[in-house]
Amino acid sequence: MRSLFSLFLFLFAAVATAISASGNRLLAILDNVAEKENYSKFFGDLESRGFQISVEAPKSESLALFHLGERSYDHIIFFPTKAKGLGPNLTPNLLVDFMNAQGNILIALSSDLPTPNSLVSLLAELDIQLPADRTGLVVDHFHYDASSAPDKHDVLLLAPPSALRPDVKDFFGTGAGPDDAIAFPRGVGAVLGSSELLTPVLRAPRTAYSYNPKEQAEAVDDLFAAGEQLSLVSAFQARNSARFTLVGSAEMLQDKWFDAEVSKAAAGEKKMAKTFNREFAKRVSGWTFNEIGVLRVNWIEHHLDEAGATNESNPNIYRIKNDVKYTISLSEYAWTAWNPFTLPGDDALQLEFSMLSPFHRLPLALDAAHSSDSASAYSASLKLPDQHGIFNFAVNYKRPFLSNLEEKNTVSVRHMAHNEWPRSFVISGAWPWIAGLGVTVAGWLAFCALWMYSAPVGGKRETKKTQ
Amino acid sequence: MSADPLQVLASAGKGKNTRGLLRVIILALIVAAATASRLFSVIRFESIIHEFDPWFNFRATKYLVANGFYNFWDWFDDRTWHPLGRVTGGTLYPGLMVTSGVIYHALRALTIPVDIRNVCVLLAPGFSGLTAIAAYLLTNEMTPSPSAGLLAALFMGIAPGYISRSVAGSYDNEAIAIFLLVFTFYLWIKALKQGSMLWGALCALFYGYMVASWGGYAFITCLLPLHSFVLVCMGRYSTRLYVSYTTWYALGTLASMQIPFVGFLPVKTSEHMPALGIFGFLQLLAFLDYVRSAIPSRQFQTFLWIFAGAAFGLGLLGLVVATSAGFVAPWSGRFYSLFDTGYAKIHIPIIASVSEHQPTAWPAFFFDLNMLIWLFPVGVYLCFQQLADEHVFIVVYALFGSYFAGVMVRLMLTLTPVVCVAAAIAVSALLDTYLSTKSPDPEENQAVEGAEGKKGAKSGLKATNKPMVGVYATWGKGVVVSALAVYLLLFVLHCTWVTSNAYSSPSVVLASRLPDGSQHIIDDYREAYQWLRQNTREDAKIMSWWDYGYQIGGMADRPTLVDNNTWNNTHIATVGKAMSSSEEVSYPIMRQHEVDYVLVVFGGLLGYSGDDINKFLWMVRIAEGIWPDEVSERAFFTPRGEYRVDGEATETMKNSLMYKMSYYNYNNLFPAGQAVDRMRGARLPDVGPTLSTLEEAFTSENWIIRIYKVKDLDNLGRDHSSAAAFERGNKKKKVTKKRGPRVLRLD
Repeated sequence: MRSLFSLFLFLFAAVATAISASGNRLLAILDNVAEKENYSKFFGDLESRGFQISVEAPKSESLALFHLGERSYDHIIFFPTKAKGLGPNLTPNLLVDFMNAQGNILIALSSDLPTPNSLVSLLAELDIQLPADRTGLVVDHFHYDASSAPDKHDVLLLAPPSALRPDVKDFFGTGAGPDDAIAFPRGVGAVLGSSELLTPVLRAPRTAYSYNPKEQAEAVDDLFAAGEQLSLVSAFQARNSARFTLVGSAEMLQDKWFDAEVSKAAAGEKKMAKTFNREFAKRVSGWTFNEIGVLRVNWIEHHLDEAGATNESNPNIYRIKNDVKYTISLSEYAWTAWNPFTLPGDDALQLEFSMLSPFHRLPLALDAAHSSDSASAYSASLKLPDQHGIFNFAVNYKRPFLSNLEEKNTVSVRHMAHNEWPRSFVISGAWPWIAGLGVTVAGWLAFCALWMYSAPVGGKRETKKTQ
Repeated sequence: MSADPLQVLASAGKGKNTRGLLRVIILALIVAAATASRLFSVIRFESIIHEFDPWFNFRATKYLVANGFYNFWDWFDDRTWHPLGRVTGGTLYPGLMVTSGVIYHALRALTIPVDIRNVCVLLAPGFSGLTAIAAYLLTNEMTPSPSAGLLAALFMGIAPGYISRSVAGSYDNEAIAIFLLVFTFYLWIKALKQGSMLWGALCALFYGYMVASWGGYAFITCLLPLHSFVLVCMGRYSTRLYVSYTTWYALGTLASMQIPFVGFLPVKTSEHMPALGIFGFLQLLAFLDYVRSAIPSRQFQTFLWIFAGAAFGLGLLGLVVATSAGFVAPWSGRFYSLFDTGYAKIHIPIIASVSEHQPTAWPAFFFDLNMLIWLFPVGVYLCFQQLADEHVFIVVYALFGSYFAGVMVRLMLTLTPVVCVAAAIAVSALLDTYLSTKSPDPEENQAVEGAEGKKGAKSGLKATNKPMVGVYATWGKGVVVSALAVYLLLFVLHCTWVTSNAYSSPSVVLASRLPDGSQHIIDDYREAYQWLRQNTREDAKIMSWWDYGYQIGGMADRPTLVDNNTWNNTHIATVGKAMSSSEEVSYPIMRQHEVDYVLVVFGGLLGYSGDDINKFLWMVRIAEGIWPDEVSERAFFTPRGEYRVDGEATETMKNSLMYKMSYYNYNNLFPAGQAVDRMRGARLPDVGPTLSTLEEAFTSENWIIRIYKVKDLDNLGRDHSSAAAFERGNKKKKVTKKRGPRVLRLD
């Protein structure tokens, strides 16, 4: 059955072409179509990856995120607009509903244009703070592009990000050379709250800070944020794995920065280098629109792992102290196809067997026998606890940038049935009692026999007595 | 045959065979009456299982019929007590289910297609007929008068005290247990009278059946030893007693230990120790009796008694030591509450919270037994007059039963049989005396008196001196008999009235009267359970107070957290805590227990008194018993010590989940500012409570049942109150200049 299932999966994977794992209808919100030209390479890249892009102005009448309760688009991308309001079709509640329906959103900001109220409210719900309108500009006097912003220092040059933690996969900076730099021109930095669903993708360097360009005071008394607290590109993944990305500078997605030559100020020399922007933009949009880092559970199987037992798949009920084997098959989507999911170096996939609290928490090991080209299987064997109840096999794997895995399989664990205990004669401690039983029975029979077959001796005396 | 018909009728009653036939016919009629009078509920409502516990028994029976006996025996029920589950097969008394299972299969084998529900509904009336027969047999052992047995059968058949637990649909353990109780007593008396091993073994057999059927078997386990002990103390030790008691004890204990739920309790717990002690004591007595017969000596005799006393004392001491050392479990809480009615209230609120565990109010005795209650002492007195072994039993049973019936309402049930027997003895004594038209011949009597006059001159009582004194006139007899007849008729009227009005309501369906006198059925319970059955996932877990657990399991077929089998006090306290705490505290508890829906009963709109707000203090008390730091009963009372739900209610009360669920959206039913709770007569505050972690899923027609769905965690990681505020359109306040140090993000 499992092979049939994987065959089906294989067919499914073959049918799905090089598009996102969750659909290809992309809505781009722009002030006017002419502006699209600035982003032609970015859009070209998206289209070449299979997205169908519809461009709409924010207040367009025909714009509707939902049609008959279903999403009309799979993804939305917001570019900066001049208007402060986005109109009745893009209210924050609608955007939250869109995310609750597993739609993905990418927002690009600009320090020159105001951020629409609707988006500010949405960001506030996601625990992301922005500086007040048009007052935040990120500058860095050490990491700027000497060729385009020699005076203003507002075009930051940043090294491609590396893995957030050793146990997290690096999706955005892999393959970048040591000289590659991401240009971040005239952008806004955001401050992330402590929500565990938020992750910074690109942080400002330690020397960067956000300031209000209109205020010309010598000393800044109220600093919005500085250094690594400023997140230039931030990612948010909702519990249902809907993705949201905030890009602080829309300009970095424009054609001119895709191929621009920049020179690092800190290097001291006028060495020109091409930016990493195009690749970075591809990866950021690809992550947001479910092209990378998407995990899928192909199947989950658990069965009795005991000799002589019928190893039926996924039974609803086990007995206490049974040996059980649990296997989960996972795939990861990367740009074009489902691949077997491999764990990052230091990470572990864990299985919990829990009722109210975990009774077992075991690492799941790669099970090569059940893995294939497009899926990898992880399995663990366990002995069920000596406690009956309703238990869950739970796999709860939530890592930054990977879609959430929360799998629960409920099984009942019953007590020993009356005929599953060892028989009394098997237990050596019971032998004295069994012997006692036998002796009593034999003694009783012997006594009866003795009683019945022994005639009274003094018959005469007996009769006398009764008289 | 020219004799007039009256004479024929009179002579027909004289032959022995005709009398036997008459007796059988009368008994059959009594059985029919006993069965028929319990059918009110079916006629008034429908063939439906009643109340709470019967729903579990019904569900268990269905499982038994569907899966067979061995699966039933090993049944692990994963749809109750989520997520603990219940080892149901090992924690129930299977007698009832097996009985109806056997009846069901027997009828099927006879090709009579019956629904298992009808077997269950009609089991109690059927068995009450058998109880009447058992009462007849038991009474016949007490008195030679043949009318006493028939009267006892009649009383037993229609006494409300017994009917209360055995109307059609009241499919509870008591339905068959009372029959077994009476029949076991009958067999015991029979065994004791004859000193017969056969009857003793039969007694043990039925005792085993009783153990399999009802937890109240402990009543027999304690009463028989007590009876034996009293007999021994009266100097009535005999080999008959020895044979019958030891046979019953040995076989009965073995039989009782076969029930998994009982298991080793008979040799481990204090409740069963009297039986074991008397068993040992009788062995000693038998030994001493043998020795005494072998060596006749006065001094030795006194020594023997001292020896017996010492052995008894030593046994008692050994029991105390074994109890304190932990070999024998001490008396359980339920038993303590039998001796100290205040005990449960302080130490085990879960027991005290059950209404049928409350002490009996005195009108209940009259309500349940009517005239039997004043005939009862007369019957006991008559037993005293004869005081054979079996009469001692009635006396002991009467004392024991009266005490327990006074302590706990539901133990009225165990008192009823002895009341019926004693009252029947009294009534039949009266009838036998006054129905006889013969009056003694004065002359003949004088002659007798003259002959005996000299001998009996010194005997004390006048009545024995002059047996002629008495009521012999026909009119006097007529008055007494007709008065008695009127009483009996009134008794029948009372029983019928009580049965039809008080004890026939299924309590699942409520009946009320419309102004024009027609009956109006309030069917909110079934409406809500049906909604659950049709609109929720099959494994959606329902949290409710434990009263409704069995009904949800039986009618809605959904897993519950707690139910009427209150085996785990902590789990119940957890539900109590979730109900009595604020949403922030309850939500994690509900998440942990995977609750999908919460069900509350609310009587405010209809004025229905059995709702959850009225039971709420028990939830608080039970939760406080486990978490005294987190839940406090005091916090639910106003500073003036009132339990209020209106605007004056305490903050703890208003924030509690139960309050919020009960009154959520209730304001919208009324014009502004006029929301009234009709049950408690309280005017509710203008602004109703808000819920953020729950959403209303269903409210029944009369608002009796309200069901709420537990929300999932917020998709965007916000807490529920701010998510709910966002939904309502409240914008998040912009965080302007934060006071205090900045919170930096580390990752």
